[in-house]
Amino acid sequence: MYRSISSDTCFLEKLGPNGVIVDRADFRLNFQQKLASVVLLLFFASFFFPFYLARENRISEDIQSGLLSLSPLCILFLMLPPLLIALHAFARKGWMKEVTITLSGVLGLFFPMMVLAIVGSDVSDAFGSLARYSPASGMYLYLTAVIIIFLMKPKFRLYDLSGMILVALAVMFVASKGSYDRLGIVLEGRNFGSRVTREVLAHIRLTFISLGISIVIGIPLALASFQGKRAKKIVFPFLNLLQTIPSIALFGLLITPLSLLSRTFPFLREMGIKGIGNAPAIIALSTYALYPIIRYSFTAFSSIEESVIQAAKGMGMNPFQIWRMVRFPLAAPGVLHGIRVALIQTIGNATLAKLIGGDGLGVLVFEGLGQASVDMVLLGMLLIIALTIASDRIFQIFIYLVTPPALRGKAVGNG
Amino acid sequence: MQSHHNHPVLTDTHSFLTVKNIAVNYGEIAALQDVTLSIPANRVTVLIGPSGCGKSTTLRCLNGLVKIDGGSITYEDEGIQDLSETDLRRSMGYAIQSVGLMPHLSVEENVDLVPRLLGWPKASRTERVEKLLKLVRLEPEIYSKKYPHELSGGEAQRIGFARALGADPPMLLMDEPFGAVDPLNREQLQDEFIRIQRQLKKTVVFVTHDLDEAIRLADYLVIMKDGKIVQADAPERILASPRGEFVERFLGPDRALQRLTLFTADRLMEKVLSGVEEKPALAPDESSNRTYWQVDAEGKPIAGYAWVGDKAIRRLIVNGTHTVQQYSSLKECVSKILNLGLPSAAVVCEEGRLCGEVRFETIQQISQG
Repeated sequence: MYRSISSDTCFLEKLGPNGVIVDRADFRLNFQQKLASVVLLLFFASFFFPFYLARENRISEDIQSGLLSLSPLCILFLMLPPLLIALHAFARKGWMKEVTITLSGVLGLFFPMMVLAIVGSDVSDAFGSLARYSPASGMYLYLTAVIIIFLMKPKFRLYDLSGMILVALAVMFVASKGSYDRLGIVLEGRNFGSRVTREVLAHIRLTFISLGISIVIGIPLALASFQGKRAKKIVFPFLNLLQTIPSIALFGLLITPLSLLSRTFPFLREMGIKGIGNAPAIIALSTYALYPIIRYSFTAFSSIEESVIQAAKGMGMNPFQIWRMVRFPLAAPGVLHGIRVALIQTIGNATLAKLIGGDGLGVLVFEGLGQASVDMVLLGMLLIIALTIASDRIFQIFIYLVTPPALRGKAVGNG
Repeated sequence: MQSHHNHPVLTDTHSFLTVKNIAVNYGEIAALQDVTLSIPANRVTVLIGPSGCGKSTTLRCLNGLVKIDGGSITYEDEGIQDLSETDLRRSMGYAIQSVGLMPHLSVEENVDLVPRLLGWPKASRTERVEKLLKLVRLEPEIYSKKYPHELSGGEAQRIGFARALGADPPMLLMDEPFGAVDPLNREQLQDEFIRIQRQLKKTVVFVTHDLDEAIRLADYLVIMKDGKIVQADAPERILASPRGEFVERFLGPDRALQRLTLFTADRLMEKVLSGVEEKPALAPDESSNRTYWQVDAEGKPIAGYAWVGDKAIRRLIVNGTHTVQQYSSLKECVSKILNLGLPSAAVVCEEGRLCGEVRFETIQQISQG
């Protein structure tokens, strides 16, 4: 017989004939099992929320459909990932754990996508040729659970990647058959047509021009602050002040002085500098990007060990050589990380450019808000996220290539 | 306080550079006052003193890292006199305590720095790096591609030393170069330094706060206090006649023992009685004061035998812990002798082969001299 030792432990102990513990049952959950229970809870909750929304046309009312309204086969398939993760939590063997978690994650991506494809034909059958549908909260919960499953993995392995690629291929195949044609995001994207590409390019252009300006201004300012105490005393309080102004306010504040300027100097107007449009957006965005760039660069320059500089001097390097051969290469990773932070921040902030008449993906988001079209907002958001992740990845690779091999993989101090 | 402008100089060499009445002020504080010194060429000059005495400042004046506020530094060598500051530094090797290896450059690139600054052709530079790494006993194939963060403290110091020798400068400035290393490694580095210095005969100015190190390495010892030179002379003369109370206290009560650090084992090394047999059938004639070393096929010592009357005592020898090297100090020899309880210490040469012994009797004679 098992008995509990005290009320606050999770053990039950089995005592032998002479009071010796012969067995112990442990009911504590390890971290992995705790995460698994969170995932199961999310899966469970997702079954009670609308899985997708359907509409007869773009402006008609939503009709919510829960998961339980799907065909029994679909429900069965969607139950498979939760089952696998439950199995994972109690699997003892290493390979069992690995197989269940990977399978659960990959199938957790695959089945909802397939369900969306099947639902597509149902929707157009039921509501006619103008009908459209989009994923709803239940599906988002479901996908959140799947993301946590992938995060639970200690290491993202090649077979995880291949699983994901297979899912992507399957989705592309199904899409080529036209199964996603009635999906809201797809319809919005089609409506916009070439405008989507245009806005993406405008977003990138806006980001890069702003970033370029703040690099050109920021790095010399960081150097000046590093060289002289007085410059530092001016630059940093100013930066901190700028950072406290809410971004929307800064966008708005620029309208008056800029329109005044463009009215006074017509040649500025010809260059496209006006109170509204891209000019104030670029000014505001580059102002915000200054902070990470200056902070990180300053830290990078000042964290170089003094003994290294002393040795460089002692070996007969002139000041120019010390900068070129010692300071710049050693500070490069830190400076680049600052630019990376600024890049990501600017891509996000550039969405707001639309508010003062600028271009970029903000156009999709805010027009979608104006037209109460969630699908359009979603399309804009997804594109911004994709743009952010892609540029971050590319920039990371760039940083890796530029960093001297000895400094790779070292943590860079936060500004 | 009266300053001593005419310190004795070494007579067996000429002066490489002369420092006359230099002064350095850091704001209100006088870091150096009226320092006059002549650095002997091809010898090791060691600056020593308590922290804040100005020894590092003096060193940094020599390559212009610290600007002097008065006095003059004259280089006897005409080639150096007209050099610009950066060229002057390139002609003086510089090694410092925290090593200051460039973290983003490989060992090879670090050692190569000064030759590169001087614009040497690539081929001769590669050759030079290999030669220097061999000189500090680091295998070029293993070490040249490594980065500073992959090196141990002792290895990094060796690379720092090799880098200072990079362009074969006539003069080396070393600012507590072995300061950050543990005592065991430090002694080894000192051995290496002595070995290399006997080979290369550079003019070296060496700053340390370790008295043992100073006495061991110095041909010319300069004791400093509060930005002034208190005494400068050959170390044996300073030990024999310290000038004033400060120097006496600084040298400590056991000057006789300190004298032992002046001499290296190779100076007193004698021929040994050795063989591969476990124990000689008969005790040697001079048995009371000699050791019989048993060696293996490669000539490495395995055990030592000594005789007290007819009784033989046997001690097992672990190479490295119970043996000394050619450039080890007599102080170390005494320590090994007392440790093992044998009448002499075994001296090993390359690859750990037994090549001589230092007898306690001989050390006794020296320490009285």
